[in-house]
Amino acid sequence: MKKNILLVVIALVACVASVSAQGRKGLCINEVMVHNDSSVIDDYGMRHAWVELYNSTHASMEISSVYLTNDKNNPTLYPVPLGDVNTEIPALQHVLFWADGEPNKGTFHMSFTIKPGETIYIFDADQQTILDQVTIPVDLAPNTTFARKEDGKGGVNAEAWEVRDGGEKYITPSSNNIIVDTNTKVESFRTLDSNGFVLTLMAMSIVFSALLILSICFYFISKVGGLVSRINKIRSHGGDPKTVTAEDAPAHDSGEEIAAIVMALHEHLNAHDQENTILTINKVKKAYSPWSSKIYGLRELPRR
Amino acid sequence: MEQSLSEFMAGNLRTFWEMTGFYNATWEHFVMLAVGMFFLWLAIKKNFEPMLLVPIGFGILIGNIPFASGMEVGIYEEGTVLNILYNGVSAGWYPPLVFLGIGAMTDFTALIANPKLMLVGAAAQFGIFGAYMVALALGFAPDQAGAIAIIGGADGPTAIFLSSKLAPNLMGAIAVSAYSYMALVPVIQPPLMRLFTTKKERLIKMKPARAVSQNEKIIFPIVGLLLTCFVVPTALPLLGMLFFGNLLRECGVTTRLAKTASNALTDIVTILLGMTVGASTQASEFLTIETIGIFFLGFMAFIIASSSGVLFVKLFNLVLPKDKKLNPLIGNAGVSAVPMSARISNNVGLEYDPSNYLLMHAMGPNVAGVIGSAVAAGVLLSFLG
Repeated sequence: MKKNILLVVIALVACVASVSAQGRKGLCINEVMVHNDSSVIDDYGMRHAWVELYNSTHASMEISSVYLTNDKNNPTLYPVPLGDVNTEIPALQHVLFWADGEPNKGTFHMSFTIKPGETIYIFDADQQTILDQVTIPVDLAPNTTFARKEDGKGGVNAEAWEVRDGGEKYITPSSNNIIVDTNTKVESFRTLDSNGFVLTLMAMSIVFSALLILSICFYFISKVGGLVSRINKIRSHGGDPKTVTAEDAPAHDSGEEIAAIVMALHEHLNAHDQENTILTINKVKKAYSPWSSKIYGLRELPRR
Repeated sequence: MEQSLSEFMAGNLRTFWEMTGFYNATWEHFVMLAVGMFFLWLAIKKNFEPMLLVPIGFGILIGNIPFASGMEVGIYEEGTVLNILYNGVSAGWYPPLVFLGIGAMTDFTALIANPKLMLVGAAAQFGIFGAYMVALALGFAPDQAGAIAIIGGADGPTAIFLSSKLAPNLMGAIAVSAYSYMALVPVIQPPLMRLFTTKKERLIKMKPARAVSQNEKIIFPIVGLLLTCFVVPTALPLLGMLFFGNLLRECGVTTRLAKTASNALTDIVTILLGMTVGASTQASEFLTIETIGIFFLGFMAFIIASSSGVLFVKLFNLVLPKDKKLNPLIGNAGVSAVPMSARISNNVGLEYDPSNYLLMHAMGPNVAGVIGSAVAAGVLLSFLG
C-alpha cells in the first residue's frame, strides 16, 4: 500500500513539475521604440514610446498579472491588469504597450516612460522571475526601434537585436519583425529539386531507417523473449535452465511430429483393446484454417 | 405604397422559389449528385468498402444540394452544423481518433514475429514518393504534390491529415480519391501481383510465424512510439494514437477502453469523417481540372506502391536463406489498406495453392504499411509544412 502511495506521489510531482516548466517562459520583449514622432499612434491619437511583447509559444498566453518595469528594484511598477480579454496573446502574436506613464488610459498604457540606456524587464507573477529583459541602446535615434532580428529568438543575447530605421529594415509594431510572404521550404524544393528526386531519396531513407531501427529492435527483443520463454518452458518441465543451451531447448513441435510421437507411443505401449481397425494419418486439405480466421488475428482482445 | 395580398404572396413565393435547390441548381451539382449516387451504388450493390463509401456517398449528396449562399447551412459557412462537424477534418483531429481505433483493433503479432516484414511496409511507401515526382512533372507545387502523393499510402486518415496541413483546398478531392482507390484495391492489385511474379514465386510457402508472448505485444507499442516519433515527431498525432490504441488492446487491463476505441469510437468518427469529407466535395470546389489530375495521380500512386512492395520482396529474397524466403504476393500488402490488401494476398495465394494461407504473413507488411505511411506523412510535413 505504502509503495503504491509513493508511486502516485512521484507521478503527481512529475506532473506538477512539467506544468510549471511550461509557465510564461515564452513571453518576451520583441521591439522597442523610445522617441516616437512619426510612427504608430495610440487609441487617443497620440504618439508615445512603445514596447512590443511577443508570445513565442504555439499556444495562447494570458499575461495579466505579469509585471513590466524599467527598475529592477521595483519589479511591480506596472502590473498588467486582470479582467481584460485582450491580455490573452494568441500563439506567435504580439501586443503593444505604450510607455506614456498614463495607466488610467487603459490596460496597455504603462505607468512609466522609457529612455535610451534603460533596461526594460518583464517579471513573472511571483515578482522574482525575470521572463525577459532588454537594454535600450544609449544612442537609439528618434523614430528608430531596437528589435529582435527574428521574432522571439535569441533570448537576452545582444547579438539577436538590431536597430531598425524604417528603411530597408521595417519598423513593425504589433506585427512580425520578419515578414514572410512565401513558404521558404516549398520554394527551396521548387527551385532546387524540381523533379522531386532529392526529396524522394531523403524521405525514403528516413522511412526505411525508422522501420529498420524498429525491425532490428524487435529482432533482438524477440530473441530475448524467445530465450526467456524457452527457459520458462524448461523450468516448468523441471529442467535446469542454467545447464541447457538454446539448441537443447525444445523447439515448437509441428502437428505432424506430435501425431507421429503419439502413434509411436501407442504402438510401443501396445495400447490396443478389441478394435481391429487400422489407424492412419491422412493429411487433409481444408478451405478453413486458423490462418484465414479473423477471430485469431484481428478482433480477439486478450484478457488477463 | 400599399401592397396587395396577391403581390405579397407572389413576392414571398418568388423569394421561396429563389431559395430552392431547383432554382440554384447548376449542371455541376447534378454531376456531383450522380457521383454520390455512384458511390452509394458501389457500396450497397457491389459491397465496395461500404463502411466508408456509404457515408462519403451520402455526404456528397448532402454537400451538393443547391442553395443560395448565406442561408447558414453549407459546410463552408462559418458556424453551421456541418461546418462544426467538418472541423474534425479541417483541423485534422478525426484522423488521429481513427488511428486510435485502428491501433485498438490491430494485432501486430505477425509483424513482431517476423520484424523483417517491416521493410516491405517501408518499400511500398515508394508509391507516395513516386507519385510525388509525377505530380511535380504535371505542374503541381511541391506542397500540393506531397498532399496528393500521400494517396499512395492507401490510408484515408493519413491522407486527410496531411492534406489538411499541406493543401486544404485539395483535401476533398484527395480524400475521395484515397477512399475510392482503397475500395478498388481488389481490382487494382491482383493484376500487378501476377504481372511481377512467377508461378514458382507465388507457390512459396512461408513458415508459420512463431508464437509471440504477451510481454512482446505490450513492449511493441511503447518502443514503436518512442523509436518512430523520435525520428519523425511530426507523425506524433497519428503514431501516438495508433500505438496508444494498441497498448490499450494488448496490456490486458484496459479491455473496456480498447473495446470502446475499436468499436463505438471508431464507428462514430468514421461516420462523421466520411459524411463530412463527402459533403466537402461541393461542385464548385470539386469539379476542376485539378481533381482529374488528383485522381490520375492517386491511381499512379497505388500502382507504384503495390508494384514496389512486390518487387522489393523479390529483391529481398535474393539475400534471404532458402528456407526463409518470402512469398512476393505479400508485397502488395505494404500499402496499408488494412486488412483488405492482406486479404488480397491471401486470396491470390490460394488461387495457386489452396493450402497456402498468406493472410497472417501479409498482415505483417500490412500493419507496417500503416506505420510506414504515417512516418512518410510526417516526413512530408517536416519538409514541406
